[in-house]
Amino acid sequence: MGSTPPLVAMTGIGKRYGGVQACRDVDFAVRSGEVHALLGENGAGKSTLMRVLSGDITDYEGSIEIDGAPVRFRGPADAQRAGIAMIPQELDLVPALSVADNIFLGREPRSRWGGVDRRRMERETGRLLRQVGIRLDPRQPVEELRTGEQQLVTIGKALSLDARVLIMDEPTSALSAAEVQRLFQVIAELRAAGAGVVYISHRMEEIGAVADRATVLRNGRVVAEFAARSMTASQAAEAMVGRPLSAMFRTTSGEPGEEVLRVRELAVRPRRPRPGRREPAGITLSVRRGEIVGVAGLLGSGRTELLETLYGAGTPGQWTGEVLLRGRPVRPRGPRHAVRLGLAFVPEDRRISGLVLEHSVLANTALSIVDRIARFGLLRRRTETDAAADAVRRLRVKLAGLGQPVGTLSGGNQQKVVFGRMLLLRPDLLLLDDPTRGVDVGAKAEIYRLLGEVAREGVGILLASSELDELVGVCDRVIVLRDGRSVREFGTGEARAAELLAAVMGDGGEAGAAPPGERPASRVGGGT
Amino acid sequence: MTQRETIQRESDGAAAPPAERRLDVVSVLFRFQSMLGLVAVFIAAVLFSPHRGAQILFLTSENLFNVVRAVAEIGIIAVGMTFVILIGGIDLSVGAVLGLAAVGSAVLMVENGMGVVPTVLLVLLIGLVFGLLQGIASARFGIQSFIVTLAGLQVARGLARIWSGGQGVAIAYGDGPGEAPVAFSLLGERTFNGLVPIPALIFVVVAAAAIAFLRVSVFARHLYAVGGNQKAARLSGVPVNRVKIAVFGISGALAALAGIVHAGQLNQGSPNDGAGYELDAIAAVVIGGTSLAGGRGSVVGTVAGALLLGVLNNVLALNNIDANIQLLIKGLVIVAAAGLQRLRPAL
Amino acid sequence: MARPVPIALAATACAVLVLSAGCGTTHENAGQAPNAGTNTKCKGPNGHYVIGMSQANVAEPYRQRMNDDIRNAAASVPQFEVKFADAAQDNAKQVSDVENYLTQQIDLLIISPNESTPLTGVVKKAYDKGIPVVVLDRKVDGDAYTTFIGADNTDIGRQAGTFIAQKLLPNGGKVVELKGLPGSTPAQERDAGFQQAIAGKNIQVVATGVGDWLRDKGQQQMDAILKAQPQIDVVYSENDPMAEGAYLAAKSVGRENSIRFTGIDGLPIPSGGIKAVEDGRLTATFVYPTGGKEAVEAAKKLLIDCQQVPKKQTLPTQLVTKDNAEAVYRAANGG
Repeated sequence: MGSTPPLVAMTGIGKRYGGVQACRDVDFAVRSGEVHALLGENGAGKSTLMRVLSGDITDYEGSIEIDGAPVRFRGPADAQRAGIAMIPQELDLVPALSVADNIFLGREPRSRWGGVDRRRMERETGRLLRQVGIRLDPRQPVEELRTGEQQLVTIGKALSLDARVLIMDEPTSALSAAEVQRLFQVIAELRAAGAGVVYISHRMEEIGAVADRATVLRNGRVVAEFAARSMTASQAAEAMVGRPLSAMFRTTSGEPGEEVLRVRELAVRPRRPRPGRREPAGITLSVRRGEIVGVAGLLGSGRTELLETLYGAGTPGQWTGEVLLRGRPVRPRGPRHAVRLGLAFVPEDRRISGLVLEHSVLANTALSIVDRIARFGLLRRRTETDAAADAVRRLRVKLAGLGQPVGTLSGGNQQKVVFGRMLLLRPDLLLLDDPTRGVDVGAKAEIYRLLGEVAREGVGILLASSELDELVGVCDRVIVLRDGRSVREFGTGEARAAELLAAVMGDGGEAGAAPPGERPASRVGGGT
Repeated sequence: MTQRETIQRESDGAAAPPAERRLDVVSVLFRFQSMLGLVAVFIAAVLFSPHRGAQILFLTSENLFNVVRAVAEIGIIAVGMTFVILIGGIDLSVGAVLGLAAVGSAVLMVENGMGVVPTVLLVLLIGLVFGLLQGIASARFGIQSFIVTLAGLQVARGLARIWSGGQGVAIAYGDGPGEAPVAFSLLGERTFNGLVPIPALIFVVVAAAAIAFLRVSVFARHLYAVGGNQKAARLSGVPVNRVKIAVFGISGALAALAGIVHAGQLNQGSPNDGAGYELDAIAAVVIGGTSLAGGRGSVVGTVAGALLLGVLNNVLALNNIDANIQLLIKGLVIVAAAGLQRLRPAL
Repeated sequence: MARPVPIALAATACAVLVLSAGCGTTHENAGQAPNAGTNTKCKGPNGHYVIGMSQANVAEPYRQRMNDDIRNAAASVPQFEVKFADAAQDNAKQVSDVENYLTQQIDLLIISPNESTPLTGVVKKAYDKGIPVVVLDRKVDGDAYTTFIGADNTDIGRQAGTFIAQKLLPNGGKVVELKGLPGSTPAQERDAGFQQAIAGKNIQVVATGVGDWLRDKGQQQMDAILKAQPQIDVVYSENDPMAEGAYLAAKSVGRENSIRFTGIDGLPIPSGGIKAVEDGRLTATFVYPTGGKEAVEAAKKLLIDCQQVPKKQTLPTQLVTKDNAEAVYRAANGG
C-alpha cells in the first residue's frame, strides 16, 4: 500500500437490527482505481455494510474515513456530497415519471427562468443512456420499461452523480449478456478515471472478470479476502457458505411421465396493448411430469409474458393456438382459476408480486391454501401452522419464528417462502420466473435441489431464467424464445451454454455486441 | 394476529433470544398504541374533569354510558370502515347511507306500516346492496374507491331526499296508522336499570363480532393480503375482486345498521342525517392504528380510536371548551396519532 | 301539520318514559309530570346560576347572533354564568351536548334545536329532572319544556308575500322564489305563508330555486334561472344571504336594476340583511328576531324572581326598507 490513504476506509463497523447482528467489526476499504468485490450469502451483511457507507444507516458502531479524514454521515445526502453513490438492489425509481425525470429527480437543471430545463435534462439523459448502452426515449415513463432497462437507468442515474465511489449492489441481476458486457466497459472507464467501485454480486464469473479484490462476509463478519483474478469460484463459494459445496445443480433426473402441459402456436392479441410487453406470438412447447423445461430468452423476448399468460395473469385479449393441461384444453380466467386447475406460479419480483412484506411468514406461506383447509370459512390454525411449518422446514428457510414479518428475511429466504406457498398447493405444473434472481449461492443450490425433488414427485416445471448456466445445469430441455416466438428447442443433454447463447441472441444484432476474445457473456462459464 | 410458533432454527440463527424479546415489546407497544392513547386520554379526562363536591363528573356511570352511546353510531360505521381501509380503500358514502337508512326506517314503518323486523331487514339489505354496487364499480371497473364512494355519497343523499320528500320523517310510536311499532323505540332506551343505552350494546356486539371474524375467518386472511399486496394476493389465488366487493357490502350494511340506530335514537329519519360521519369514522380508524395504505390494522384499534374521540369530545364539552377550540384539539390528536404511526419500526 | 300529532306525542312521551323513568300511567300527561321547574331551581337574587345554551349551529350568522344576544344580555345579570355548546347542525351531537349539560348539573337550559323531533327526548329528560327549559326559535314536540320563544315563520312569509303583492307588484308580475334547505321547518313555513299571501293576486312564481340557505347556492340557482327567464320582477328569498347571492347573479348579467330582491332575517350585523337594504341591494327584509335577549329575561324571571313565564312567547317581525334600515340597525345594536 502506498502512502496515499484509500478513498474510503471503514473500520470496525457493527450494526444490530433488534435481535440480528447484521455486521460486526468489519474492516473494508476501497482504493482509487480499484474494483472491490463484496461477496457473501444473502443476510451476510453486505447490504447493511453498504447502507452504512451510503449514509442510509446512521446508528452504527465503528468509523469511516474518506481520504484519511474521519466522517460521520447524517443521511444519504451527506454521503452523496462526499462523492459516494449507491445503486441499490431494489430499484428505487418513480414509476410514473420519465427516465429523464428519474435520473435528475431532486436536482433538475434549471433554466434561466427558474423552471426545469427539460432540453438539457433530456440531452444529458441521452448521453448517460448511451454510456450504459441502451437506447431509450428519455421521456418514456419508467414503468413502461423492463426490469433490466430500469436497472440500467438506475446505473445511469448513479453515473450522473459523478461519484468517486460507486456502490453497485447486484447490478446485473436483470441484465442480458450484452448489457453486462457494456456495463463492464463502463466500470473499466470509471476505474481508469480513478474512481473506486464496490461490486456486489453472486456471479463468480463476473467477479473474476471485473474485480481486483474480493472480500467475503459471512454472518456479518469478514471471513476471507482474495485477489479476485486468482480466486476460484469454489474457493469463494466455500468461504461464503462456510462448508464445502456439494454439487450445485441436480445430478439425477427422474423418469419423465405423461405430458402435463402442451402449448401449440399460442399467441395473444391484447385488447389494449400494454407498453413494454412482448405478448406470446407463436409459442409451442410441452412439459411432462417430472420434467424441468427451461425458457431462455433475452429481455423482451416474452419469457415473463408467456408464464403470466399460462397462469391467467397476462394481458387480457384474444388467444389463438392451443393450451392443453393434462390433455384438456384450458384457458385460465385468472390466477385463482389457474390454481384450481393445478398450476402454480413463482413470480419474478418477489417483493412486488410475491409477498406481503409486513405480514408474517405464516400468513404468507399459507396464503394460497387457507381457503382449502378451511371449515365453514373459518381458519384451521393447527392445520395451517403445521403445513406452513413443514414447508418452511423443507425449504430450510432461516427464520426466528413463523410470526416473523417476511420482509425481515433475507432475499433468498423470502424467495423460498414464495416457493413454499406454491408447493403447498401441490400443483401439477409449476411456473417459475427467474426464481434465483438476487439469491445467494447457498440458497440457489437449495432451490435447485428442491426443483429436482419436486420434479421427482411428478410435477412438471417450466423455468424461465436469465442465467444460461442455470438453464443448462437444471433443465432437461430448454425452449428458446425470441420476439415472443419459440424459435428453437434443445433436447436433454444437448443444450450447451455457448450454443444456447447463440440461439438466444439470434443470428445478427446483439450477438456482435459481445466483443470477441472476452469471456462470452460471463454467465456461460461452467457452474460453480 | 398470527400466533408465534417457534421453529427449530437451522444452522447458526443470528437472532439472540433476549433482543428478540425486546423487539417484541416494541411491536406489542405499537399494536396496542391506540389502547395506550385511550388510556392516556381517559386519565387526562379524569384529571381535568369538573367536580361537583367530591364527585368527579366524568366518572359518573351515567356520563360514561353517555360517552359510549354517543360514539355508538360512529363506532359501528368505523368498524365497517376498518374493513374497507384494510384493503387500502376508503368509503366516503357511509354518512349518506346512514341518512338513507334512517329515512328508510322511518318511512317504511310510519308511511308503509311495516313491522320492526321487516323494516330492519329491508334497510340492512338496502345498505348491503348499495355497498356491493359500489364495490363492483370499484373492483370490476378499476375505479378508485375514493371516486366511487364520493359518487355513492351523492346518490345516497339524493335517494334519501327523494324517499323522504326532502324533509325529516318523524317517528311516532303506537299501534295506529302512521305510527311505528313501539318496539322500535327501544333503540333510544337504556336497559339494566336504565343505565346501559341500547345503541352502546349494539356497538359492542358489532365490534366483538368483527373482532372475532377478523381473527378466525379465511376471508380476513384474504382481506389483509389484498390490502398488503394486491398483486401478490392475486397471484396467490386470492379472489381479490370478491374480497373487495364483499368489504364494501359489509361497510354499507353496517352504515345502514347505524342509520337504524340513528332513527331509533332520534325518533326521526332525516335525509341530512349523518353528514360528515364518514370523516369521524375515518378518524377513529386512523387513530386506531389502521394504515390507510391497507394491510395493517385492527378493529380493536378502531374501537379504541372511536372511544378515544368520544372521551375527548365528552371531557372537552364538560369543561365547556369553545366549540372552535375543540376542533383544533381534535385535529391535533388525529395528527399525533398518525405521527405515532411513523415511529413504528419499519421493515 | 296534518299528522295526528297529539296521539303520537302522548305515545312518544310515554314510550320514552316507560323504561327510563318508569312512567306509571299512560294518562298522566307529561306536562304534569313531577316537574317542579321554577320552584326547585329558584334560589332568588343571592344564588349563582349556571345556564347551558345548546346551539344548533353557530356557523349560521343568525345563530351566532343569537348566542351574542344571550351573552350580552346575561352580562348584565351578575348571578348568571352561561355556557355555550355548538352541535354543528348534527342532531345527535346536540343530544350529547344536552346530556353533558345534565352531567354538569346546570340550573337552566336554553336550547335552539337543530330539529324538533330528534331533540324532544333529551329536552324532556332535562325538564323531568326539574331543570327549566327555554326553547328558542324552533319548537320541540309535546310540551315538556318551560317556555318557547320564537317568531312565526308562516306569518313572516305571509307578510313578505303581502308586501310583494301590494307594494312591489300591485298590478301583478313575475316572481322567483329561493327556498332554504329542504326539510327544514322554516323553509316550509316561509314558503307556506308566502303562498297564502299571493294566492289569487295575479302573481306568477315563474321559477323556484333551492339555495339551502347559502349565499353561493343562491347565486348558482339564480344564474340558471336568469338564463331561462327573460322577465323577472321580484326575487323572494327565504333568507338574506340567498337574496344577496341572487343579487350578485343578476348583477353579473346586468339585470340587477330591473329586479327587486327581498329577504328574511334582517340580522343587525355588518354582513346582514339590514345593511344590504340600507345599501340598496335588497328592497326589503323582514327581521326574524333571535329571542336571545328575551331568553335571558325569561331565565331571570324563573331563577331570580321565582315567577312563572308564559308557555309561549311569539316575537313580532319588522319590515325593514330603505326608510328605516339605519334606525333599526342602530336600535338593535343598543345605539
